[in-house]
Amino acid sequence: MDSNNNGNRFYLNLNNDRQAYPDRTYPTTPSTFPNPIFPSQAQGGGQQAQAQSSQQQQQQPYSTGFAPSGYFMNNPYPPSYPQQPPASNYPAPQAPQASYQQRPAPTNPNDATNGLVHQFSHQNLGGRASPYGGARQPSPSQRPRTAGATGQQVSYSNYLNAPMPAAPQQQNWPEFQPAPERNPDKYGPLAQTNQKRCAQLAEAFFKDSVRRARDRNVRQSEMEQRLADPNQSQARREQTWSNAGKQEGKYLRFLRTRDAPENYQTLKIIGKGAFGEVKLVQKKQDGKVYAMKSLIKSEMFKKDQLAHVRAERDILAESDSPWVVKLYTTFQDADFLYMLMEFLPGGDLMTMLIKYEIFSEDITRFYIAEIVLAIEAVHKYGFIHRDIKPDNILLDRGGHVKLTDFGLSTGFHKLHDNSYYQQLLQGKSSRPTNRNSVNLDQINLTVSNRSVINDWRKSRRVMAYSTVGTPDYIAPEIFSGHGYTQDCDWWSLGTIMFECQVGWPPFCAEDAHDTYRKIVNWRQSLYFPEDVQLGPEAENLIRSLVCNTENRLGRGGADEIKAHKFFRGVDFDGLRRIRAPFEPKLSSNVDTAYFPTDEIDQTDNATHMRIAAEASNQPRVDAPELSLPFIGYTFKRFDTYANNR
Amino acid sequence: MPPLPSSPSLSQTLSMDDSTGSLPSGDALSFYNLPRPKPIWLNDSYAKHIVKGNFMTLSARPKTVEQGEWIAHQVVEHYRNLWNFVRVIHDKDEEGTSICNSQTCPRMSAGANHSFTWLNARKEPVEVPAHEYISLMQRWISGKIDNTAIFPTDPAGVSFAYNTGNPDIASATYASGGLNTPGSNTPIPAGPTALTTSLSQLAGPGDWVGKSSGFPVDFVEVCQTIFRQMFRVYAHLYWAHFIDPFYHLSLEKPMNSCFSHFVLTATEIDMLKPHELEPMQPLIDLWAANGTFPKESKAYACANLKAGERLLSLAGVN
Repeated sequence: MDSNNNGNRFYLNLNNDRQAYPDRTYPTTPSTFPNPIFPSQAQGGGQQAQAQSSQQQQQQPYSTGFAPSGYFMNNPYPPSYPQQPPASNYPAPQAPQASYQQRPAPTNPNDATNGLVHQFSHQNLGGRASPYGGARQPSPSQRPRTAGATGQQVSYSNYLNAPMPAAPQQQNWPEFQPAPERNPDKYGPLAQTNQKRCAQLAEAFFKDSVRRARDRNVRQSEMEQRLADPNQSQARREQTWSNAGKQEGKYLRFLRTRDAPENYQTLKIIGKGAFGEVKLVQKKQDGKVYAMKSLIKSEMFKKDQLAHVRAERDILAESDSPWVVKLYTTFQDADFLYMLMEFLPGGDLMTMLIKYEIFSEDITRFYIAEIVLAIEAVHKYGFIHRDIKPDNILLDRGGHVKLTDFGLSTGFHKLHDNSYYQQLLQGKSSRPTNRNSVNLDQINLTVSNRSVINDWRKSRRVMAYSTVGTPDYIAPEIFSGHGYTQDCDWWSLGTIMFECQVGWPPFCAEDAHDTYRKIVNWRQSLYFPEDVQLGPEAENLIRSLVCNTENRLGRGGADEIKAHKFFRGVDFDGLRRIRAPFEPKLSSNVDTAYFPTDEIDQTDNATHMRIAAEASNQPRVDAPELSLPFIGYTFKRFDTYANNR
Repeated sequence: MPPLPSSPSLSQTLSMDDSTGSLPSGDALSFYNLPRPKPIWLNDSYAKHIVKGNFMTLSARPKTVEQGEWIAHQVVEHYRNLWNFVRVIHDKDEEGTSICNSQTCPRMSAGANHSFTWLNARKEPVEVPAHEYISLMQRWISGKIDNTAIFPTDPAGVSFAYNTGNPDIASATYASGGLNTPGSNTPIPAGPTALTTSLSQLAGPGDWVGKSSGFPVDFVEVCQTIFRQMFRVYAHLYWAHFIDPFYHLSLEKPMNSCFSHFVLTATEIDMLKPHELEPMQPLIDLWAANGTFPKESKAYACANLKAGERLLSLAGVN
């Protein structure tokens, strides 16, 4: 086939093409750029060759020092190569091997142009006369099983000292360079770090790319369906096409630009904790409003929260559910991880409970039904939330529920670490001493003591932002260390429902230590106060959720709970479309009236820290995306620009 | 026969000619003048990947996306990927030593047959150590990528590809977008795409790829140069560093996957010409033969299948 046939197969053709070599202008060279050259075009070949071989000898100590002994022992050919006087150098066919070793590239013996070498080279080529015949040995059979076997080294050096040429032996040369025993330890710690980083990034690249391509194909076929709709006008169709193209283009532009906190203006701090803060921010470029969570990398690292950060990023990135707070992008700098999320102006259920103390049964039914659907959505993505509590139940502008905080932010417990809980269970009170003492003995918990409860709630908000978090809603099996399943989230639902109806969570106590004990002994400690009027269905539902996992409703799926008679008449499918009992009244899209901003220190620590770090002028060697524990954290959602209001 | 070399170092080419003469005729590999034994990365056992499947979908431009935008995206993605591997050999440890250094690699070489020069201030080609070459390359490429006049980032400036499937829209002025639309039945006004036609030619006078999205007139040229530079670096990684360190660090599969994806993309969007693949041609042949490159890809069309099949059979793969 010839190269004119350019539509189909292009053979880099044998003889024709080769003629083109020497005079080819290769490559097309733009003004600022370098040319590749063939060694033949290099100046002063003979001299160069000599210079190279002497250079080579100078470098020899380095070469042997640098190159792994394991490698050399396994490779019969090159070890003593640099030690040979140039004249008795190995012949041509072998020589280019030097170029794929850690060896000066110019040790191309062809450059050592002298007759002897050529003679040898011809001999060797002759020895290759039936080069692909039976003499070929697959490389594995040549490969010594053990690196560093000294006996082999001896035999190789004998071989190498043996008089040249050993033509018959050379017929045994393998077709391919034999694989040495892998020896990663020959490199220093930097290479080890880079190795991990490299492997992880390459894997993340393909994973992300494939996902993006898949999503893109879905979007494209959706667009094609719209284009195929005969009822659409031509103008509308053009619109559809160009909008799709622009959205895809914006996303690509978004992917290739690096986001940074400087691109956002802080409006207000709406949450704060030991690991970072949540701010209401506005993107400077387009004025769009987001909630930005910033997490301190060093704290996450110290407190062993990396798995949790990663889990949250994963579920938020993967889910595309109205029941889960939307994550638009994650990025990082040297000190912080950032999560850019949708801002839900309705605040959270904890704030609502502080404000209203208890809900009527109808209102309780609405929220609990929505939380059922939200938990179901999370489970469908294959996640277990494990930390469902009123602080993690956010309300959107319509007053509907969305879940957030998948394993971090407020409740940074080591959920997987049983010993942590064991310690808590055995230890003394972990209560901070500066906290207002609130006597929450069970006996005192009556409706008449609402003010006490509210004190407790306020202290709980402090608790919520601490690293410990509140254990009030956590299922006992999580403490036990004997494993847990998705139904631990249904326990939490039951405790929240209890709180909506009764006014406090069923196991609340003065400190976390007592709460743990109460939860573990739930059979004794679960108690419905007599002065609280609770419908029988409501109490029954709570009791079928706050119970041992074998009997817990929801074990067989959310439908079991939806079918409970407490929810009789609830249209679960249309729930999100009905009007919520409390619709936030907002003066603007940046209204934070539903956030206790006056209780939160408005010092913007993240910004301060960043500016301080910049001022300290420490050289940042690596791009922050590359700090090993946080590789793959960076995420960019397609519709970041599309559907954000 | 090619003209006889005037420079002594061309004797290399000469001796290769001799060697081919003594080979049995018809060996598809003889042309490449590969070293003996052949590089380990031409052994199919070490040419494997961390990913499977048809990666055309990662390379082919989505229909609605303007060509310049797609090229810009690919440039940045592949640059990030490449740098991921370069870092391993290029980073200096506490003692200031890198795996690739002026002793191991005094030239930016890709085997015995190729080395690459850098143009100095007087635009003269100079040989520099590979480590320095790569540093220069990084500075040059990131200077381009970070320049918003060349790679605009404002989402407001984004355009789209004209709809080749829609005659009404096709008559509009987005001539730059209609290149190489896969599967399009509609004739493309700018003329058929051929491997030999450059993108800038196709765009027509007064128009260029990326114009509607705010990319500059020389955008395609800049990107082609970036891809060419990246290719050279990959070639160096294979020829000089495949075993040391990538194989030892068990990174050869990730590197194979990233490089094959690189070749697939670069050829697909006409960023590399077939003849520019030369230093890595045998590996491309192998990947065509072992199914890495889909048959419908341009990378496959660039390959010498016979040579690839020969490599497979030498490796004992049937």
